[in-house]
Amino acid sequence: MIPFKEDDTFSAAFTLSQQVYDGFISTFGDINPLHTDASFARDKGFEDKVMQGNILNGFISYFIGMALPIKNVIILSQDILFRAPVYMGESLTLMAKVEDIHESVNVVTFKYDFTNKQNIKVAKGHFQIGIL
Amino acid sequence: MDKETTEILHEINDIFIDVLDDDSIILTPETTSDDIEDWDSLTHIQLVVAIEKHFKMKFTAQEIRSWSNVGEMVEAIINRSKLAI
Repeated sequence: MIPFKEDDTFSAAFTLSQQVYDGFISTFGDINPLHTDASFARDKGFEDKVMQGNILNGFISYFIGMALPIKNVIILSQDILFRAPVYMGESLTLMAKVEDIHESVNVVTFKYDFTNKQNIKVAKGHFQIGIL
Repeated sequence: MDKETTEILHEINDIFIDVLDDDSIILTPETTSDDIEDWDSLTHIQLVVAIEKHFKMKFTAQEIRSWSNVGEMVEAIINRSKLAI
């Protein structure tokens, strides 16, 4: 039994904190100057150093594993389109809506987006989960 | 093989090539998962999802479990198409 129906919507809030940023760098080592050097980033037209976009994929991982109302779940696929930069300290809301359900194989596809406090959509995509 | 079966088999072949990322796949009605190296339980899920999306139809878990080869998969698609008419 799949505990979702089409158009069900779930959300969670995340903050690009210093701790998240430091953890990402210490784990993955992406210290490209765009992410670590504010003057470099400003020279390239950004307001400040830009947070690594794949931090958002970590938030999606948390969202699927911990925030959805089901624990027996695996991620089958995930895509992301970055639409706007995210800076240190920004709060984001992840909103995910059930787009398609394949009951025959216990698969649910969600469409999601991240918006910031200014209601700008900073990223969007889909993830597909399997119910174990 | 009739024309309808051939056409659906061709469409499924394209889906298999795309999902399994293997241009060398040539399906026949007799093809089973034993004949295609990457066709395992996880890719089977992706194949079913892709087939359901492509043909705009949904199967039951029981139907899928009953398929023993590609020919039975094609047959199920043809039968489901007829029901939708």
